[in-house]
Amino acid sequence: MEEQIAKESHRLSSIEAEIAQVENSIKNIKEGNFGDESAELSSLLTENSKLKFRLEILNKAIANERKQMSSSSNSPTEVISIIKHLYDIFYNTTKAIFPQFEDPICVISSQTNKSDYQCNSAMPLSSKLKQLNVQMSSLDIAKKLVENLPYSPLIERTEITGPGFISIFLTKDYAKTFISLILNEGVKPPPMKKLRVVVDFSSPNIAKQMHVGHLRSTIIGDSISRLLEFLGHDVLRINHLGDWGTQFGMLIAHLEDIFPNYVNESPPIADLQAFYKESKKRFDEDEEFKKRAYDRVVKLQSGEKNSTKAWQLICDVSRREFQHIYDLLDVKIVERGESFYQSRMESLVKELDEQGLLEEDEGRKIMWGEKTEGEIPLTIVKSGGGFTYDTSDMATIKQRIEEEKADWIIYVTDAGQATHFKSIFACAKRAGILDPSKIRIDHLGFGVVLGEDGKKFKTRSGDTVKLSDLLEEGTRRSLEKLKEKERDKILNEQEIIDATNNVAYGCIKYADLSKSSRNDYVFSFDRMLDDRGNTAVYLLYAYVRICSIARNLGEEFNKQMPKLKKETPIVLDHEKEWKLAKVLIQFPDIIEKILRELNIHYLCDFLYHIATTFTEFYDSCYCIQKNKQGEVVKIDVSRVLLCEATAAIMAQCFDILGIKTLKKV
Amino acid sequence: MDEATFISKFIALGFNEQKAKETLKNATLTKNITAAFNSLDNHNKKIEELTKGSGALVYHLCSKIKPQSLQYLDLLISLITENKLDNNLRVDLALEFVLSHSVSNTTINVADLEKHCGVNVVVTPEEIEEVVAEVIKKNKKELEEQRYRFNTGKMLAEIRSKIPFADGKAIKSEVDCQIFYLLGAKTEADLAPQPKKKAAPSNNTATSKSVKPKEEEEVSNDDTALTITELMKKVKFHAPGENYKTDGYVTTPETERLLKEHLKITGGQVRTRFPPEPNGILHIGHAKAININFGYAAAKNGICFLRYDDTNPEKEEEKFFIAIKDMVEWLGYKPHKITHSSDNFQQLYEWAVVLIKKGLAYVCHQTADEMKGFNTILSPWRDRPIEESLQLFEDMKNGKIDEGAATLRMKITLEEGKVDPVAYRIKFIAHHRTCNDWCIYPTYDYTHCLCDSIEHITHSLCTKEFQTRRSSYYWLCNALNIYCPVQWEYGRLNVNYTVVSKRKIAKLITEKIVADWDDPRLFTLTALRRRGFPSEAINNFCALMGVTGSQGSVDPSMLEACVRDVLNVTAPRKLVVLEPLKITITNFISDKPIILTVPDFPSQPDNKSSHNITFDRVVYIEQSDFKESPEKGYRRLSPNQTVGLRHAGVVIKVVEIKRDSNGKPIELFCTCEKSETAEKPKAYIQWVSVPQIIEVRLYERLFLHKNPEDINEVPNGFLSDCNKDTLKILKSYADKSITTAKVYDKFQFERIGFFSVDPDSTSDKLVFNRTVSLKEDSGKE
Repeated sequence: MEEQIAKESHRLSSIEAEIAQVENSIKNIKEGNFGDESAELSSLLTENSKLKFRLEILNKAIANERKQMSSSSNSPTEVISIIKHLYDIFYNTTKAIFPQFEDPICVISSQTNKSDYQCNSAMPLSSKLKQLNVQMSSLDIAKKLVENLPYSPLIERTEITGPGFISIFLTKDYAKTFISLILNEGVKPPPMKKLRVVVDFSSPNIAKQMHVGHLRSTIIGDSISRLLEFLGHDVLRINHLGDWGTQFGMLIAHLEDIFPNYVNESPPIADLQAFYKESKKRFDEDEEFKKRAYDRVVKLQSGEKNSTKAWQLICDVSRREFQHIYDLLDVKIVERGESFYQSRMESLVKELDEQGLLEEDEGRKIMWGEKTEGEIPLTIVKSGGGFTYDTSDMATIKQRIEEEKADWIIYVTDAGQATHFKSIFACAKRAGILDPSKIRIDHLGFGVVLGEDGKKFKTRSGDTVKLSDLLEEGTRRSLEKLKEKERDKILNEQEIIDATNNVAYGCIKYADLSKSSRNDYVFSFDRMLDDRGNTAVYLLYAYVRICSIARNLGEEFNKQMPKLKKETPIVLDHEKEWKLAKVLIQFPDIIEKILRELNIHYLCDFLYHIATTFTEFYDSCYCIQKNKQGEVVKIDVSRVLLCEATAAIMAQCFDILGIKTLKKV
Repeated sequence: MDEATFISKFIALGFNEQKAKETLKNATLTKNITAAFNSLDNHNKKIEELTKGSGALVYHLCSKIKPQSLQYLDLLISLITENKLDNNLRVDLALEFVLSHSVSNTTINVADLEKHCGVNVVVTPEEIEEVVAEVIKKNKKELEEQRYRFNTGKMLAEIRSKIPFADGKAIKSEVDCQIFYLLGAKTEADLAPQPKKKAAPSNNTATSKSVKPKEEEEVSNDDTALTITELMKKVKFHAPGENYKTDGYVTTPETERLLKEHLKITGGQVRTRFPPEPNGILHIGHAKAININFGYAAAKNGICFLRYDDTNPEKEEEKFFIAIKDMVEWLGYKPHKITHSSDNFQQLYEWAVVLIKKGLAYVCHQTADEMKGFNTILSPWRDRPIEESLQLFEDMKNGKIDEGAATLRMKITLEEGKVDPVAYRIKFIAHHRTCNDWCIYPTYDYTHCLCDSIEHITHSLCTKEFQTRRSSYYWLCNALNIYCPVQWEYGRLNVNYTVVSKRKIAKLITEKIVADWDDPRLFTLTALRRRGFPSEAINNFCALMGVTGSQGSVDPSMLEACVRDVLNVTAPRKLVVLEPLKITITNFISDKPIILTVPDFPSQPDNKSSHNITFDRVVYIEQSDFKESPEKGYRRLSPNQTVGLRHAGVVIKVVEIKRDSNGKPIELFCTCEKSETAEKPKAYIQWVSVPQIIEVRLYERLFLHKNPEDINEVPNGFLSDCNKDTLKILKSYADKSITTAKVYDKFQFERIGFFSVDPDSTSDKLVFNRTVSLKEDSGKE
């Protein structure tokens, strides 16, 4: 009996043990503990945990690297383009997530009402994926992008809205650094590779009047050059003067007749245009004169002494007129006329001929570029053996690339020459002169200047408007305006002269530059001298006011300015402070955009944006508090510094635009 | 120099041919002697012209000189030829002098050297006489008592230390002379053989059995080490700061400066460390390491660190850290400071970069298999540009490279021929302390010496198998221009009939052969503690094993003997019957139970501690103490033989046997008689009345063979060698006095063995583990 009980209880206890074991196993499985029952599972689990760990390490390394990078880009030597930074981040993230795209779409738009920046890639990515038979909603793509976005010192947070717009909000830290940088180091361009750039602009013709078309080229070309120089590029400004060609035979022949002693004595040609007209008349009417004129051309081109002397004399007269205008407009430019290329044209023609690139066409030698439909070939040699504009432009591009070692060539001419330059570029490419993968080449074609009636800009009598007359009228009207505002009572004589000129030329330039150069533009003194709206007058006044905020705090305060700039932390707590700062930090973005599109009007828009945002700021934020007696009670140094930074950036913009600021208004 | 020339020159030194041939077998000595011959040639000194005895001095010099002093061999040879070093003592002193200069490589001031060696110092017979008289006077009493049995060796040593440059023979004859004067001629008694002294158990041989707790022990002058502290006091290691005096230590021009700085930091204190990997449990082998490191520091008033060598993130768990510290403390040691190798990860990384920059380390892409073994192909990446290695090492650190796809290797060949050991490898595993800071982890080879250096360890004590890493140890510290400790090796302690490797124990656990890491059948320290081994016994055992370099394995009985020695004097006695047999005493001497007072240590009359037990009419005895049909020589209870009940003072006699259905006796009815009146029984046995039921766990040796891991002995692997039924659980009876016992309390169950309270015990159920039986192998019937 006892034995029986012992046996049974032993059996029971072993059953109980078994039950406990099974229960335990079930519990383990429920908890996801599979033990080592599945070797494959456990090895996969290990693999998984290792990968997770590796990811952590990699992310940390990336964050570290970014931190180091950002600490160097936040260091007081560099400013960065925010858009470019965001583009890089989103581009790389997109590429990492969708390796199927070699060069994925990435769309970053600048400040909107709802966010600081925005990434709009998700929608186009979704449709691109659809083409590859991958279904992924733009919302999911946006989520994925945000999830995988690496650390950036610029981004405070992101938010997904609508079908997949990613709103990006900036940190204030970068803006603070940016502002201190401007205060302490001045306005610096974003870092970039230094290039040799040839800017070909203005380029009037000898013995002819400079007209508003040349004015546009001059203003735009000068501003582009100023921008490139600010960025540290090595800029060669070239005035491609029309100083060569058959008309010089006629001028020389006429000069010989009127001032036979021209070789020893400078001829008193006051009105070169009248002189031109006279000779032209004779050329058309007098066969013998015409013959002599042709002879002089040949002599000039062969370098005959007297003809060359006569040519130089004529050119000098024109040059003086041009220089007067450049001086007024404060434009610097190197003269290198068509004559410079005579010998180069000769060798160029030979080379092209040897390369077999020239074709006979009714006695002419022509050259095709890409031979696409509608393309006009270049005439390299005329049937008489003479050269054309095509020949000189080919020689010019060759000289600029091969001798000037240009990395980038910009031609600033009216838009009407677009086809011509297209052919030139195509032929240069075909001749092996131009390698577009190494050299950037732009034809910056601008629209026509229209009168207030919307027709081509003419005098009332229907003549082309003389540029000197136009500028004169500008100063006159500018002075009128100043007097109207009774500024002449505050400013001394020199100040009033300076103000008059700066306002006049500033307005003319700004009116031109503030419109997209691709479009025609209406020339209106009334409009450009208006002190409201997006005009130079408004901006110049605004600038003077901003500058005066700190200046009015007196010498003592301004003496301390360098120290304050170094030591005062910038505060951007007020909504308007932050708004102003966010505009200012766009400066590198704007520069990048202009460089891409070669349209300087973005800078004008930016300037205007600064001025209006500043007004908002100034209206709601006290910089200086005064009591009723007009004594200063409290100075908000951070805000004063923000004013200073604003002024610094504005000054830099004015400088790029070629506009001189005023000291006082 | 060919062998024949060597032999002939060697004979000219004054030795025979056989000695010459023997010497030739020792490469280092041959090299030194050859150098000495060349040196003699340089001094134009023919061997034959040497003064008598100088040859022996040359030999002595060559056999004693350390490698770091070899540059001074020529100088010392010339001093011997000039008869300035004219005895072994002076040669030894000269060697000592040049060794202390070997670190700085400075030129030796010969005048100072000669002064140090007592060159030209002449000790007059009068001086000798005076010193001898003084010393004999001091020992007069013993001399007169022991007469010619007095050991004069010590006296001679004392005299020599007083007049080091006196002629030994002169001293000896002076001593003999003066003793003769004191004692007179030898008597017959003096010549008779010495009466045999009864060897005291505590101080004769190396197997001495010390039982006193070590703190109480006094430092004995005996040559035998009794405790670890004493043992370590006698060990001849270098003094702190004199690292360069150790054989094989490599010095650089920086060594002197670094040692000076080291001394400044440590204040000349001895610093050791116990550096276990925190990925397993400590075992008996570690006990030796703990004892040697902590013991040496204690013996020299130094400090010892407990350093967790946590460079391998795999399987490092918090519980191991705790367990290790626990065991160190259990053995009675307190670390000066607890450190971690991982504390130094940043420093180690920076040093790795330094090595790469110096061209001493490179990133390699050989696979682990390609690097395995000794006949490996030299890494094709060995000479890659430094810049490239730096970048790749950075990439390794940043997680850019797959696990196993790159390692950092040091450009050094180990003694055994292993080329370019790995310093860093990639592991995508979080470290329990540095978390996700690192995915590259340093190896033992790289970490160990650098951590020693960082902690300014004076003596890096390790087991013999690390001897082959010694050169890389010195190389690495020197390559980085940092303080270089000295590595000393001692023999690893292996115990037979067990396995200690972490992996194998884990296997035993998963195979359910043992219950856990602290199963008393194992030789982990936790297991030994659970089994009831006192830590003193383990320490004594380690002391017994010594610090020698020899590696041998020890039978567990040796350890058990140490345990018995300790428990014998510390474990109170109890009466327990393991397998009870009920006895009813029909004529019990009282009508109610009797309370008896029983001494805890019956064999120690001085120890008055005692406990009470109950004696009643029903008692239980061991089933094995009753035999119905006894064999011849059986001394205990049988139907025809009485037996005494220990401490009860009665003798019982079987009257009737009650049986179960199988005829097996289940109860005896006996009568009792007072021992005073009864016929003297052949034996007294233990018994229990009014019993407390206890669980008793009897353990047997786990493995059948001495070396279960040896494939020759156990071809089918250690698992196949496991003994069956090594755990026997009994429901036993003890007297009620045992109920107050706490976990780890130890007792001697009289006539059975030593037992310890298991942590499994609860308030209503005591569990006892058999620690050891009373006598070796007496557990078997």
